[in-house]
Parts: sequence; structure tokens; C-alpha cells
Amino acid sequence: MAQIELESVTKEFPDGTTAVSSLDLAVGDGELLVLVGPSGCGKTTALRMVAGLEDVTSGTISIDGRPVNDVEPRHRDIAMVFQSYALYPHLSVYDNMAFSLKYRRAAKAEIRQRVAEAARILELEPYLQRKPRQLSGGQRQRVAMGRAIVRQPRAFLMDEPLSNLDAKLRVQMRAEIAQLQRSLGTTTIYVTHDQTEAMTLGTRVAVISGGVLQQVAAPQELYRRPANLFVAGFIGSPPMNLIDARLERGGAAGDDAGPVVVFGPHRLAIPPEVVAAHPAFERYLGEAIVLGIRPEHLHDAAIAGGPVIKLPVRLREELGSEVQVHGAIGTAAHVSADAADDLRSLATIVARMDPRTKIAEGETAEIAVDTAELQFFDPASGDSILA
Amino acid sequence: MAAIRQSGRNSRLNKKMAIWALFTLMVIIAVVMLYPFWYIIDNAFRSAGQFDRQAGHSLIGWKELFANLPVAAQLLNSTLVCAASIAIILIVSTTAGFAFAKLRYRGSGMVFLLVVSALMVPLQSIIFPEIVNLGNVHLTSSYAGAVLVYAALGTPFATFLMATYYRGISDELIEAAVIDGLGYERTFLQIAIPLSLPAIATVTVLQFIQIWDDLLVALFFLPTNQRTITAGLATLATGRTTSIPPLMAGSLISAIPAIVVYLIFQRHLVKGLTLGMGK
Repeated sequence: MAQIELESVTKEFPDGTTAVSSLDLAVGDGELLVLVGPSGCGKTTALRMVAGLEDVTSGTISIDGRPVNDVEPRHRDIAMVFQSYALYPHLSVYDNMAFSLKYRRAAKAEIRQRVAEAARILELEPYLQRKPRQLSGGQRQRVAMGRAIVRQPRAFLMDEPLSNLDAKLRVQMRAEIAQLQRSLGTTTIYVTHDQTEAMTLGTRVAVISGGVLQQVAAPQELYRRPANLFVAGFIGSPPMNLIDARLERGGAAGDDAGPVVVFGPHRLAIPPEVVAAHPAFERYLGEAIVLGIRPEHLHDAAIAGGPVIKLPVRLREELGSEVQVHGAIGTAAHVSADAADDLRSLATIVARMDPRTKIAEGETAEIAVDTAELQFFDPASGDSILA
Repeated sequence: MAAIRQSGRNSRLNKKMAIWALFTLMVIIAVVMLYPFWYIIDNAFRSAGQFDRQAGHSLIGWKELFANLPVAAQLLNSTLVCAASIAIILIVSTTAGFAFAKLRYRGSGMVFLLVVSALMVPLQSIIFPEIVNLGNVHLTSSYAGAVLVYAALGTPFATFLMATYYRGISDELIEAAVIDGLGYERTFLQIAIPLSLPAIATVTVLQFIQIWDDLLVALFFLPTNQRTITAGLATLATGRTTSIPPLMAGSLISAIPAIVVYLIFQRHLVKGLTLGMGK
């Protein structure tokens, strides 16, 4: 097992593109750290630098405290699972799995024993003599995993290993990878653009955008306390509702009433315990802020309590386990410069509601807001005020 | 309903007619392609008189061929020159193709362009500089000189083909091998070469046919006692009159190795020629 550290790691390509910028990350012994971010954000480049497949422009990558910037990939003692699986098409499943051991001059008996053990764990025993082209996508994925685990490396690096599978198989393989990693206890860096994969697999999740690390935290922490607007918008499906708003002092001037957040015709009082826990609120009184509300923190007022706002309902979507209600907020939704198109919600917010809700399209619904869970962001820096 | 049935019948009829038209065209093309072979075989088994009358068959043409030409020695010469040239072409083109396709280094695109641009230089334009250069290092009038010229002429196309083929092999496959513990050298030998057998077969067949059938280089660079079969056959037609039957017999013998090589590599050749056309 190993600890992997990246200190101020930067990667610039010859054409001047900065793929990764001053990345600081530490992966603990036996930890599964997920790098997540949109396509082209630099997560795969970061992984490839750890593997030694890309040179580091500046900064240091260490494995178990030893800098490996100039160490060849084969001497880093890491195994990598690729997006395309990268199985050797001319070799059988057995030979694919035994490949690295053969070239490391392991004893034949040991190779047989390790491959047999990996095949047993991954339920590949009936396929050992087949060629990769004779296997299904899921089986190929397992062989790729098997090839990595027979080596018993210090760390696994996985580059979107599930992205070529269909949705159902992906869920199954995701669970298998999680179980396998936990049982082997091997330090793992896992790259994905799929936030569900990231949240379900990761001990911790590192969100990257534009080559810059946005936040690294445990999945729940990441979801509940996003460090900035990017993380708030990226993590969660449907994404967090982001609305341009103002923080004002409640009641008349000079009053002692706590701050309220104002957006369009709506005013919501912020619970005193939230204000007390975050003194930074004072600085933003009278200022513009970006308000964030997770869809599950908006409820049908007829079912759940809390401060109420009234919204004309534009759309009701039945999803079985929940109902998603799209309501017009009567003011502009926040659109940041780097927001993806799917975040441009055109003055509409989405609520995930109890399926018993009777709220219908066209009516003005009373929506209860869980104000203790509101998020607030600085519109200029994008950083959370609550951080 | 009847109209739909009628339309279905018309569509089937049109399809059948199209297939027959295509079949007829293919037969015509096959006849045009195969007729020269038939002409060679038919006239190889005649005497000069029988050839003039186009009647009767005999082995006189073969006797004349073996009396006038050291056929076995020249076949051996052709084989040696072909084998050595193709070996050099394969060694250079596989390694260079792999480097161009999979190794990133400054200026590789420019070097590749330079190599490929050599494809556009006709042999006739460089034959005299070649003679002078090889003469300076005493390599004219020897197998070595001809082999080097053939290798130099064949390598650009072979490199282009191999580089194209290697580009089709996923980078991740090469990287997986590198991470598995192989350096780039062993990755090339253990992974790239086995995967590129169709391209290697294609290069082998195309170069074999080209070198085996070449006359110009063989005449300029090989001494009389080391002539290839193609150059040897050309000498049969240098007199004031040419006896066609021995020439046909020699052409038949000369064509057999090319056909055998083609048949051996045929399956791979088709794969190699269609490389890059999709999944």
C-alpha cells in the first residue's frame, strides 16, 4: 500500500495549454480518492502524471514520500485500469492477467496461483482461455481489474473504467469495484466525470475544474458544504438552484432582527443559529449574494413545515419515488461565467418533493423552504460565505 | 394491398437484375484480368512454329528456356535479393512506423513528412546518383548494392503504411504494456509486432511483387552472374528476333513465387489493405 502526494503539480502542454495548475492532493494509505470534473478539466492528465505517462512541468509527485517525477512508469509499482480496458487482443484472458508477472520474472507457480486467485475473486475462471474479443464488456472490465490486482501493486489508478458499460452494468460493476478495493485495501485514485460514481465510490472526492482543484472532501461534506459555486452546481442531480439575491437586515433599520435573504418578491429569514455559526454574514448585509437551495430542501407546504414562498408551477414531473416541481421564482437565476448550460435554469427552480404532493402545473404553489440548509456564495469570487 | 404486393415484386425483380448486371461485369473484368495468364500458359507449351500457327503444343519452349538461361540460379538470385531487401524494409519500417505513431518527440511530424515525401520521387530520376553513390563505396555490381537500393525505394511506403497501422492501435494498449513493466522496446516487440502482422504481411506481399518484377535496378546494379529471373528473361528478348514460347515459359516460372507469396499472405493482406476503414 502507499501514500501518494501531489505538491503544486502543474502540467503545461507544448501548445501552451495548462491542463493542471498547482494541484495539491494527498491520498492516504488504502484510501479511494475520486477525481471528478467535467470533460477536459485535467483529471485524467493528473492521473497520467501519477502513472508516469505524462511528464510533470513543475511540482512534485511522491509515492510513500519518495519523489517519482523522474521514475519510469514500470518502476513506480502502480497498476492502471484504462477507459478502453487496454487488454492485449492477441493474448488469452490468462495471459493478459499473467503478462506483467511474466515480465517481472515471477515463478510460474506463483503466477498460476495469483491469476487463479484473481480469477476466482472476479468470477473469471470459465473464461481464462478465451481471447478478449470473445468476452462481453463487463467481463473485459473484470479482466482489466484482474490484470491490475494480480500484480499486487502499491496503488491502483483507474481512468473512467466504467464509462464504456451500459447503465445497469455500470451500477453492478461500481459496487464490485468498491467491494474489491475495500477488501484489498489498496490505495486507489479513480477518475470519473460521473458524479454519482464519484459520490458512491470515494472515501474522499476531489472536484477539479479548468485544471484547478475546487474542493476535496468526503462525499457528504462535498454535497452539504460546497466550497464554491462550481462545486455547488456540479455535485447533485438535479443541481443546486442558484439564484441572484441580496442579504438584508430583517425588520426596520436599527432593528435587531436577523438577516433575511431577498430574491424577487421573496424574503426568507435566515435561522439565528446559521448566522451565529458564520460571522461572515455581517460583511454581506446589504450586499448582493448568490443563494443556493438544493431541490430536496423545497417541500410542499401542505406536507412539511417551514418558511413559505409562493411560486407559479411551470412543470410537474412524476419520477415514481419523487415528484419534481419546476417553479418560476420571479427573478433571474444566477448564471456564472463558467456555469454549464444545464445550470442556466432561466428563472426556474426545481424542487424534489414527496410523491404525495398534490401541487399541479399552472397553480401557484406554497413551497416550504428548509432555511437551515440554504447556501450562500460571494458573487464575485464564487466562494461560499459559510466556509 | 395488391399495389403493395406488386411494388414488392418489382423491388425484388430490380434487385435480381442489379445482381445479374454486377455479376456480368465481374465476369468481364475477370476475363480481361485472367486472359494474359491463359495466354502465357497456352504459349509456354509451344515451339516457335506452333506459336506462329497457334496450333499444337510441345515442351520445346521449356527446353529452349533452360538451354539459354540459368533459371534455377536466377530464381535463387531473385529470392536472395527479395528476402534481404524485404527484411531491411520490415526492420526499418516497423521501428520507424512505431516511433512516428507512438513516440512523441519534437519534429516527428516534419521527419515523417520528409520520409513520406520520398514516395513522390521516381526511381528513374535518382538511378544515376544512386549508381555514383554506391560506386563510391564499391557496392555496385553486387547483391548488397541492389538490396540497398530496393530497401531505400521500398522503405518510405512501408513506413507510411506501418505508421498508419500503428496509429490505429490504441495508445492505451501501449501505455498499459509500459505500466505492466515493459519498456518501449519490449512493448514494440511483444505487443506492437504481433498486432501488426496484417500490415507486415501487406508490406511483404507488395514489396515482394515489386522487387521480384523489377527490371531497372536489377539490370543496373547486379552483375551478369547474379542477375534475377526478371532481368534474365529480359535478355531473352534482346536479339533481332525473339522466340516467344521460352519467354512465356520463363514468365510462368517467374510468376509462380509471386502467386505463392500472395496466396500465403492473402488473408492478412485484405485486412492490411482495408486498415483504417472503421471498426
